[in-house]
Amino acid sequence: MKSDKVEVKQSGRRDFLKLSASGAVATGGAMLVGKTASAATVVEPQGDGYRLTSHVKKFYDLARF
Amino acid sequence: MQANMAPDGITVREEDKLRSDMYGFLASLLRSEPTDELIDQVTQLSGDDTPIGEACATLSKLAGSLDNGIIRNEYVELFVGVGRGEVLPFASYYLTGFLNDRPLANLRGEMDAIGIKRAAGVKEPEDHIASLFDIMAGLIRGDFGRAYSTAEQGTFFKKHIAPWADMLMRDIEEAKTAVFYAPVGTMGRAFLEIESQAFEMDLTDQS
Repeated sequence: MKSDKVEVKQSGRRDFLKLSASGAVATGGAMLVGKTASAATVVEPQGDGYRLTSHVKKFYDLARF
Repeated sequence: MQANMAPDGITVREEDKLRSDMYGFLASLLRSEPTDELIDQVTQLSGDDTPIGEACATLSKLAGSLDNGIIRNEYVELFVGVGRGEVLPFASYYLTGFLNDRPLANLRGEMDAIGIKRAAGVKEPEDHIASLFDIMAGLIRGDFGRAYSTAEQGTFFKKHIAPWADMLMRDIEEAKTAVFYAPVGTMGRAFLEIESQAFEMDLTDQS
């Protein structure tokens, strides 16, 4: 089953993804929901300690509109 | 707002942006009750005749026709509930039948290695599906200090997502309370299937 995929090159993977994962679009043709991806995430870098993290978080909080 | 949050020097290919956007989108819908802003964004989506596209079009229509409060109530009934929701979107629960069990410990170890931790103020354990999707998006975009190869992404995917997320998406699709979230489950299932297939393609290309 895997043998028929041996010939698949990285470009095959890219084309496959572009074709099959691009079905959902924002009106106007822009790619899907990039804007929602900027919503608050559940994980954050451990970084250089708590202080830095909270400052960065504060910055993001303030920058959101 | 720009979605490409990759640090300087890391370029994200078109198909990888598509993937990270899809992970981010699904995470934003599954993370908590959707805000008015998010629901409004969903109404602006459309889709082609692929499984993802059709589910997206359905979701968009529902976002436009259902009351936002009803959508948020559905989220709570489905994923939070009184006591517990109809669906518990945690890896540990799906893999062992218990919350906060070994799969969560394994994931925490891996997050440590990547250099990330649960964000301040987040109460859910890290093996929540939205958290895992956020991690995938971050690995793809290079948010966590460096670019992660497709093979590394695939390793994380196979260990922490593939063993259970398809089951979860089916449960969401078929949940009694799911109306708005049914096509979210469909989209998720279709997308995860594509990801699995694409990672298999990549494995044959590593030699």
